[in-house]
Amino acid sequence: MPVIIMITIKHDGCILCVGCSSVCPTNAIELIGTRMEHFPEKCIDCGICVRTCPANVIEMHPKKKSEKSADKK
Amino acid sequence: MTDKKDYDVIVIGGGPAGSTFARIVAQGGMDVLVVDKRREIGVPVRCGEGLGEREVHSQKLDIPRHAYSTEIVGAKVIAPNGKSITWKSDETRGWVLERKVFDKWLAEKAVEKGAEIRSYTRAIDLIRENGNNGTTGKISGVVLSHGGREPYEVRAPLIVSAEGMESMIARKAGFDTVHKPYDVDTCYQYEMKPYDHENLIELYFGNELAPRGYVWIFPKADRKANVGIGIGGTSFNGTKLGGMKGCDPKILLDRFIAANPHLKLSEASTLMDFGGVISVGTPLNEFVKDNFMVIGTAAKQVDPIHGGGIALAMECGIMAANVVLKAHAKKDYSKQTLFEYEKTWRDGPGKKVAKRLLLRKVMEKVSDDDLNYIFNTISDADLNQIMKGQFAGPVAKVLAGRPQLLGVLSALIH
Repeated sequence: MPVIIMITIKHDGCILCVGCSSVCPTNAIELIGTRMEHFPEKCIDCGICVRTCPANVIEMHPKKKSEKSADKK
Repeated sequence: MTDKKDYDVIVIGGGPAGSTFARIVAQGGMDVLVVDKRREIGVPVRCGEGLGEREVHSQKLDIPRHAYSTEIVGAKVIAPNGKSITWKSDETRGWVLERKVFDKWLAEKAVEKGAEIRSYTRAIDLIRENGNNGTTGKISGVVLSHGGREPYEVRAPLIVSAEGMESMIARKAGFDTVHKPYDVDTCYQYEMKPYDHENLIELYFGNELAPRGYVWIFPKADRKANVGIGIGGTSFNGTKLGGMKGCDPKILLDRFIAANPHLKLSEASTLMDFGGVISVGTPLNEFVKDNFMVIGTAAKQVDPIHGGGIALAMECGIMAANVVLKAHAKKDYSKQTLFEYEKTWRDGPGKKVAKRLLLRKVMEKVSDDDLNYIFNTISDADLNQIMKGQFAGPVAKVLAGRPQLLGVLSALIH
């Protein structure tokens, strides 16, 4: 089964700086209400948000394709 | 649902750019609505809070005492080897603000001139006249939501994005507001106490200490200070969740505090943590489209050397407002009419920002050893010239003793 990269945000430590949405090339992270939401269907797995997050709360990890499509529902 | 009334202009974002713009157009008789997604204007603070006096001199801002924490009398820049230059001039006088008070004060001034502000109100989308909210059709309003409640529409012939780093609506209007990692610094800051200071801004440089950035100590009242770090967005000093390499400014800030016991910061308390991503790159290549304009940090109008955006945001807010008042008189919000704002930028602050960007790109190629040499060679008067964009004198001085730097520094003297 192909390995797909997944992004998850640890909301507890997030400082809502919106840095991730300012660097995201595909608008896949947005501040919705009072938390950052990630939209896997727009995400191209580039990892820029992970690399630049000053609070280190965005995690990138491999996930099986079936899990990713399950998350989308 | 549609709002009860239409406006002449809707501003997205109630920071220094949006509030300054709104104040001036309201004073000129325009019906202006400012929306800010934050529950309280000015909160949370995501900033080092420094503001240079000279940068806002022309605005005759009478900042009330409660809107700033302390006055700054000068700057001290510290080389990797610890040698420092203290420098007191019109370039370094200023304030460390209380941003939450300052931003609200600016917003209140706009309200006093007749602007309407709605807090906790987020712009979700643009309205386009043919009903297609995608990328085509004439922009004629925005879809708003108060605290995530049912969206509603508000109409205006002009929408102004003063959204800051996020700039989602400007993206929807077709501006390339995405920040590339190379063109951002990621930052971490503590507000700390006690810290005894002499009302100087302290800036520590070094490639090990803060790759492509610096550590800052901005003094505040009552023995407090903002102690922060910004590092280049393409740094790989830390391990991110999941194991990837990337920027971790907090690790480097903690290391700085531990490595400088004479500052006594390791014994100090932290009263606030803040982190963020700031723009240090090139401003947008266009600021206006038909019925839409971008001002402040959303337009990447930020000083590429120190990442400060407040002064430019206010300056450009004024610039844009003056053009909009003329456009309003003609009832013409076409790109051609609004372009005067872009032209004023290009002929004025745009030139200064371009020089600063050049300086930033040169500085990131200078090694710590060369930095030590430069700090040992130049004077406070040279620093003043450099900040004014007059590079020739200081560069000649450095090259006289270290001609091998010509390759790196030559970009500054063309």
